[in-house]
Amino acid sequence: MVKPKKIEYRPITVRDALTEMKDLSEVMIDLAYSAALMHNHELTEEVLELEERVDYLAYMLNMNIMLAARSAEDAEALVGISTVAAATNEISDAAADIASLVIQEIGIHPIVREAFEKMEEKLTREEVKSTSILRKKSLGELELAARIGIDIIAIRRGKRWIIDPSEDETIIEGDMLIARGAPLGIEKLRALASGMMKELE
Amino acid sequence: MQSNKESLRKIADELAILKDTSELMIDLAYSSLLLNSRELAEEVQMLEERVDKLHSEFELLVMSSGFKPEESTDFLGLMRLGEGIERMADAAARIAEVVLRGLEPHSVLRLVIEEAKETVIRVRVSRRSSLAERTLREAQIPEQTGMWILAIRRDEKWLRPKPEMVIKAKDVLIASGYAEGEEDLKKLASRQT
Repeated sequence: MVKPKKIEYRPITVRDALTEMKDLSEVMIDLAYSAALMHNHELTEEVLELEERVDYLAYMLNMNIMLAARSAEDAEALVGISTVAAATNEISDAAADIASLVIQEIGIHPIVREAFEKMEEKLTREEVKSTSILRKKSLGELELAARIGIDIIAIRRGKRWIIDPSEDETIIEGDMLIARGAPLGIEKLRALASGMMKELE
Repeated sequence: MQSNKESLRKIADELAILKDTSELMIDLAYSSLLLNSRELAEEVQMLEERVDKLHSEFELLVMSSGFKPEESTDFLGLMRLGEGIERMADAAARIAEVVLRGLEPHSVLRLVIEEAKETVIRVRVSRRSSLAERTLREAQIPEQTGMWILAIRRDEKWLRPKPEMVIKAKDVLIASGYAEGEEDLKKLASRQT
């Protein structure tokens, strides 16, 4: 079990906090279903890490809202934001619980899993190794969507998450790519990231 | 055994509907804030009622599927999954409730949603539009306009877009994307190009 970290006030704009919470919670939903349906421990870990970040942001957001309210009118204007933030946090909590089924060794019945796998594009998580040709190239240059049918939905770089990365984002060694696509494309991405495949047609 | 397989397929179908509906609700809930639209917010509330009903049906299906004791953890997983989806739908309904309570969505909320999703618009597909009677895949709306279809309203129903879904005249498309795409999509939906 992760021990909750001590929370200390930090000035962060309410807007930035909520934008990040919303983006992260949306990625978490995708990752959580994939984790549960593929019984994938690594994806679960990513979801739980994101959950901790969302929790932290929720605390920061609440503290900053409290400081911002000076009157009844302020409070009335701000209560909508805290309600939305609480709901966004709840969505990420629910996603984390779905992903946690994997840790608790609670499975999803294989027949249901199969049915889902046929319908859904798959999600994967691939680490960029030192020998990979993806290194030092921007997403715009690589055009993975057009070439191998893969959409990079997020990159984890150390502790930092880049959600919905832009075309200019350059991939570096050690990046964890979170990608979505058809099974064949995922295989290719895995080969490219691990350095097995040296060419991108 | 045969009947078990059949009921499992039904369970998978129900689960897919639940999952789709909850995701649609989340998209619509944030959109209702951005557009300050009671209509969209009310739609989210109606979908929430539908999810509650579907979720109960789903649980009954799982419980009456006649699983064996050794399969019980696999079925527990299904129940938990359904529960998670239901919670997400609840949360979406709470977001929409902010609009229904007449709390003027704070400018910060709009900024957040605009930033995350650029802009959200709705357009009606005219009978003369080249989109009518085409599947979403054929219509290539993102390629042509840079706008993504979040949801389609057909008569009283909201549909979550799928590539093979056929667009009909009079459908209302809810789309998000960069502001520049807005005009292109409006043109595409209004007449033949």
